[in-house]
Amino acid sequence: MSDVQPTITVDARGVACPGPLTSLIKAYRKAKNGDIIEVLATDAGFKADVEAWVKRTGNELLSLTEENGVIKALIKVTAR
Amino acid sequence: MPKKVLILGGGDGGTILANRLVKKLPAGQVEVEVVDRSDIHWYQPGFLFIATGEADKEDISRRRPKLFRKGVKFTKAEVKKIDLDDRSVELADGTKKGYDYLVVATGSALNPDEIPGFEQGADHFWNYEAAMRLREKLFSIKEGKVVVGIGGLLYKCPVAPLEIAFLAEELFRKRGVRDKIEMKYVSPIDRAYAPHLLNRVIEEEMKKRGIEVVTFFSIDSVDPEKKVVNSLEGDSLEYDLLILTPPQQGAKVVRDSGIGDDEGWIPVDKYFLNIQGYDDAFAIGDATALPTPKTGVIAHFQAATLAHNLAVEITGKGTKEIFDGQSFCVIETGMSKASAQVSNYFYDVPPGLIPNWLLHAMKLAMNKMYWRCILSGMI
Repeated sequence: MSDVQPTITVDARGVACPGPLTSLIKAYRKAKNGDIIEVLATDAGFKADVEAWVKRTGNELLSLTEENGVIKALIKVTAR
Repeated sequence: MPKKVLILGGGDGGTILANRLVKKLPAGQVEVEVVDRSDIHWYQPGFLFIATGEADKEDISRRRPKLFRKGVKFTKAEVKKIDLDDRSVELADGTKKGYDYLVVATGSALNPDEIPGFEQGADHFWNYEAAMRLREKLFSIKEGKVVVGIGGLLYKCPVAPLEIAFLAEELFRKRGVRDKIEMKYVSPIDRAYAPHLLNRVIEEEMKKRGIEVVTFFSIDSVDPEKKVVNSLEGDSLEYDLLILTPPQQGAKVVRDSGIGDDEGWIPVDKYFLNIQGYDDAFAIGDATALPTPKTGVIAHFQAATLAHNLAVEITGKGTKEIFDGQSFCVIETGMSKASAQVSNYFYDVPPGLIPNWLLHAMKLAMNKMYWRCILSGMI
């Protein structure tokens, strides 16, 4: 998935729960189908939160990775 | 020459900071001026009790000039522009004020337009007028669907929507209409309240009280004609009374001066609270972009840290302290009980306290202590 370029980046590093997820929802509010939202977070709970959110909203989780303590989620907007 | 500390905003943070500074430093060393557009100070946690009919205007408001210690100069004026490079601010009448140290404590501003239909269709209690309108509805509704929850995602007092849900439920019982009212609590995430530990207590209490939690319901729009609230996730709920957190943003002067992010929150150093890129300008309270809750407790603790650090800077004596993100929020759960949420920058799992009468008594005591002990800088 490294060739996928985000159209929207949400940097929620250093933000505690539920900040990363609410920042994602804020970005989603302004997004349109086809947008790729990248979320960067350091809150450990974000992984489970974003997986549940994607499942519930019907958008597509392209990847969910963690490197040097930074969680990166790439989400393709498909349910707007 | 005394150093001039100019404080924009005379709310919780600005008032405590001003009073602590003149308490710590003699007049020869510091000149403190607070500028605010209003000469009324509101105890904002009290809006909840206005809505539930447990407090009145005189309980939660005071004339602002009377709240300052001797030595603080208060100026009633609207601030139009902040120029950090010129070390000056411009008032609405064109007057310019310079400073040695600037503290922006301008709070947050309501932005209901962010959610279409919010203004016409939803109620809230984030100012006195709105709280009075809500009181009228809470005391007159006889039956129907009441939807409570999170509307705007970034809002003052994270626990306020929980509190109004519990207190409204108790009020409906007292009024003898509870069995004719269906209550739902909407949350944009997969649980009612974000911190996991306390969420267990909150959800258990909601279950006990017959309040249904509707998760993954991020408010997209309100249709005031049809009385329907719609979510980004594609769901809709009918309502007779809709109580939501109003969307909020940074103060107009911050947005107009270009010193905030795209929503008008000011980026500051998380420990020393200086506005990023400046060592003579600071922001405290709701005005900052810090990932801390927007509460009076945070403003209070930040004001205490900053007052100490400015005194160290001005006198050249002592050691500066850091603000550690400490917060302590008491959550009214009704039935003469309250819970509490503790947090700071370092907790992975912020602890919460189970509801008990002592925390409720503390919250009631705080409503009184605020005026005499907290604003004055005593504690």
